[in-house]
Amino acid sequence: MDELTRGADGIIRAMLRRGATRRQALGWLGGAGMGLATAGGVLMRAGQALADAPKRGGSIRVAGFSSSTADTVDPARQTLSTDYSRCTMFYNGLTRLDESLTPQPELAETITDDKATVWTFKLRQGVTFHDGKPLTSADVVYSLLRHKDPKVASIAKTLAAQMQEVKATGPNEVQVTLSAPNADFPVVLGTFHFLIIKDGSTDFTTAIGTGPYECKEFTPGVRSIAVRNEQYWKPGKPYLDQIEFFGIPDETARVNALLSGDIQVAGGISARATRQIKAAEGFEVFETKSGGYTDLVIRQDAEPTKNPDLTMALKYLFDREQMRTAIFRGYAVLGNDQPVDPSNRFWCKDIPQRAFDLDKAKFHFQKSGIGTTPLPIVASPAASSSVEMAVLMQDAAQKVGLTLDIKRVPADGYWANSWMKVPLGFGNINPRPSADILLSLFFKSDAPWNESGWKNPQFDQLLLAARSETDLPKRKQMYCDMQSLVHDGCGIGIPLFISILDAHSSKVKGLRPIPTGGLMGYNFAESIWLDA
Amino acid sequence: MSGAVASMRWRLPLIGALGAVVLVFWLAVAVLAPWIAPYPAGHVVDPDGLGPMSWAYPLGTDYLGRDMLSRVLLGARITVGVSLVATLLACLAGVTLALFAAARGGWLDAVLSRVLDALISVPSLLFGLVVVASLGASMGVLIGTAAVIYAPGAYRTARALAVNINALDFVTVARARGEGTFFIMREEILPNMLLPVLTDFGLRFVYVVLLLSGLSFLGLGIQPPYADWGSLVRENLEGLVDGSPAVIMPAIAIATLTIAVNLIIDNLPTRGGASHER
Amino acid sequence: MNAIMARLVVTRVAVSLLTLWIVSILVFGATELLPGDVAEAVLGQAATPDAVAGLRAALHLDQPGWLRYLIWLGGLLHGDPGRSLVNHLPVAQLIGNRLPNSLLLAALTAAFSVPLALTIGITAAVKRGSLYDRTTSLFAVAVVSVPEFLVATLAVLIFAVKLHWLPALSSVRDVHSVEQLLRSFAMPVVSLSFVVMAQMARMSRAALIGTLDSSYVEIARLKGARPARVVLRHALPNALGPIVNAVALSLSFLLGGVIIIETIFNYPGLAKLMVDAVSTRDMPVVQACAMIFCAAYLLLTTLADIAAILSNPRLRTR
Repeated sequence: MDELTRGADGIIRAMLRRGATRRQALGWLGGAGMGLATAGGVLMRAGQALADAPKRGGSIRVAGFSSSTADTVDPARQTLSTDYSRCTMFYNGLTRLDESLTPQPELAETITDDKATVWTFKLRQGVTFHDGKPLTSADVVYSLLRHKDPKVASIAKTLAAQMQEVKATGPNEVQVTLSAPNADFPVVLGTFHFLIIKDGSTDFTTAIGTGPYECKEFTPGVRSIAVRNEQYWKPGKPYLDQIEFFGIPDETARVNALLSGDIQVAGGISARATRQIKAAEGFEVFETKSGGYTDLVIRQDAEPTKNPDLTMALKYLFDREQMRTAIFRGYAVLGNDQPVDPSNRFWCKDIPQRAFDLDKAKFHFQKSGIGTTPLPIVASPAASSSVEMAVLMQDAAQKVGLTLDIKRVPADGYWANSWMKVPLGFGNINPRPSADILLSLFFKSDAPWNESGWKNPQFDQLLLAARSETDLPKRKQMYCDMQSLVHDGCGIGIPLFISILDAHSSKVKGLRPIPTGGLMGYNFAESIWLDA
Repeated sequence: MSGAVASMRWRLPLIGALGAVVLVFWLAVAVLAPWIAPYPAGHVVDPDGLGPMSWAYPLGTDYLGRDMLSRVLLGARITVGVSLVATLLACLAGVTLALFAAARGGWLDAVLSRVLDALISVPSLLFGLVVVASLGASMGVLIGTAAVIYAPGAYRTARALAVNINALDFVTVARARGEGTFFIMREEILPNMLLPVLTDFGLRFVYVVLLLSGLSFLGLGIQPPYADWGSLVRENLEGLVDGSPAVIMPAIAIATLTIAVNLIIDNLPTRGGASHER
Repeated sequence: MNAIMARLVVTRVAVSLLTLWIVSILVFGATELLPGDVAEAVLGQAATPDAVAGLRAALHLDQPGWLRYLIWLGGLLHGDPGRSLVNHLPVAQLIGNRLPNSLLLAALTAAFSVPLALTIGITAAVKRGSLYDRTTSLFAVAVVSVPEFLVATLAVLIFAVKLHWLPALSSVRDVHSVEQLLRSFAMPVVSLSFVVMAQMARMSRAALIGTLDSSYVEIARLKGARPARVVLRHALPNALGPIVNAVALSLSFLLGGVIIIETIFNYPGLAKLMVDAVSTRDMPVVQACAMIFCAAYLLLTTLADIAAILSNPRLRTR
């Protein structure tokens, strides 16, 4: 099934769900350039998918990629995707992000704002925590304010800083005043750290939330067992009786566990493992195209990488297609040296795709005057696939006369000691829910994670302006300009956007891609069912 | 007379000769690799990866699409060279210290044994990481690390043997004769434990070959695109599912090397055992 | 004789405690020497200077190294190995969950591999030079030459994924019968045995060959003793020292060196706990694990030395 048909399937299903007639759907497909036979097939599949209604019952075992004594069910302390998957089983947030990263109401039934600065949330009625206590505004206030408490050492402290004041304006209403306008604030609240916990919680040996599952067992570094919350406020959900969730850090072991039936869902697999899974019967690869990438960090404040010609030469040395096939087996989307990916509503498609161009690379390399001096390039398994990228770049660089000296360093301590500290190295950025968050975290001149150390005042201005801009086309243009600036002048090379891959037994159904992460933005627990 | 090495008869049985041939072959490959390898180690010949054996690529291609024959040939330098040197160092150090400890006995033996016990108890992962962090990642450091990790084991094994022999009459006699420590070590004790010591060397050699891939994963010594054979096996492990040559060939290379070394050891002539009491 | 033995044991115990103390200093020093610390490791990519400083203060990492070491040592001497810096669980609990698992795996592997290896080694030495000897020796070397991860992965691929005879993961938790035990542990035990058998088999063969060629064995043979008696009563006791030593070295590997097997079979043992703790610079956990491995090694080597002394009367006077 090619790209077009696969994409069409999803769109048609969504159309049908929203009530389009078959004629309307067929018409759309014809317009999309599909022949009648193919269109008919798509329609049939879509119909069947709708008929595949969720079945209640069953218990599954899911394995993520990490399991250590650092596992936590404290939303403020989550750092790994396995934490996210676990916490979303037990808690809900005020909002939830959908397939296009648009915030949908969750615990907050209605959201209103005044100039994107004062936000008022009316909480859903009738929601209770697992221990029976009803959800009130006090719980929300506590959950949000604790991120600002230094003793809590919340990972989301920076994001929480924008909340100047959080107060309960009623038993079911919360008002948040921001220090500056932010049209994306509901998006922020839909991220994992802002899940809502009980007022006054300090002990996280277990999880008590409003979420689809109750925490029957939680042993950090071993496993957690989630059992259905019979009083869950979403009718009919969740479908499964129980989810056992643990980690199998070794990827081969994880895949083998899936293929031998020990588990039903393997979270986070690499493109290389897809070979084995596709060859086996009864298993599927679940691809989530998203905005995560491994990037080449060319420090603009260090020798010799601050040389703009060298920076350009390096970007031309990316054989993106070769990397896509050789490293990612096709499970990647071409990148254009700027961080906003095609799945994002603000992706600018007008920027010409930079190609693999040895001539241009040679031209810039010679202009840079580096000559035969070997240039160390630091790579690590910590930044996924960076070592392989470095190998391919080294091979290409040789052809234009540039000697790249690969320095592979262990994953151990990479982020603290090498990332952003060496002139030429790699970073690895996980997808972020909004372009604003992404650009603010990694490209703003004074951001602590401004990987290449570039400083562009025009970019900073645009960033701030776009954040409070509520007129959508204007906003889009601003983001387009920012992407151009990064593409042209930033010391970051982004060859590809890496798709997130999971694998599961064909009996597990209901998974739909959400670009914030694998397994439906890690929030898979309430949506999947077992077709045993 | 004891320790009459000259009276050994150097007739190597056929199977030992076979081992020698294989070892010499790999040594030659290690030396000549840069000239005989058809492609550079990092060159992608076929992005589809894990290709089968073919005329163009006799050992297939690896997971990134690089020629396996070249990678195995170039990897021989590291595997053969570093392993031999590191194992020699480890065994030399271990055996010498063990002989010394056994011959002298007393507090020297106790101190040496306890120091080496402590050394072996520091987890090798921790040790490796500290070495990378403080001494950098050159080939010399790699050899040294491997040697230090395996010397205590060689020491322990050799000491157990030496202590046994040291207790025998002829050694006491030699001491009574007034022979010095080094003489006793070299002429009385060592020749009578040669076979077990060499056997231990053969085993330690295997351990070092396999250790290299673990150490280079920590960033010690070998940088991409070069890789030792153990690392070649590890990085192409996904090919095991369809039996790709990329994962099987380096494993076979390792096995041929280690078996060859041990075949030589097994078939070295020993003088009729411990017939030292002539 | 008993007095000598007792003195030996007591001295050894005292010295072992000394060694343990030295090792604790070495391990602490090594962990300190490594770049980065718990705060940076736990926060990973999310380590902003603020967050790191906050976490450091909360974990008392701003105190000088020697002070932290002494505090830890003091706690240990009072029977409290401290709390994990990463998740604040008591180290005793973390270790307590996993130590039995590691011991079980080690015990099963020992039960399987030691008799097998010794039999192979001894019989190969007796039949020295024969086809049997050559084949088993070759086999032993071949088996240890295959990297551990290859053996284990191949086994899982064949027996779990393709044949579905055995589970891909090894879990003590779901074992309720001997049959389940065997099925769950078959692959890890056999994979580990591949690694340790070679040393025991080859070294026992080499040590026994040495004694079989000695004059007193020749005399026993000339006296007309039966071959089995020759081997068991005359040759073996004198080779026992080196043989037991080889067994001890191999077994000491089984507690802390089995990281690859634990990873591939997702087995909740101590080796993995320590590797994780090193990555996160979780000092109390690293120390506790290192102490346990060291103690096990010292115990095994002491037993080996005692066995050597008992079997070789001449050593008793030392």
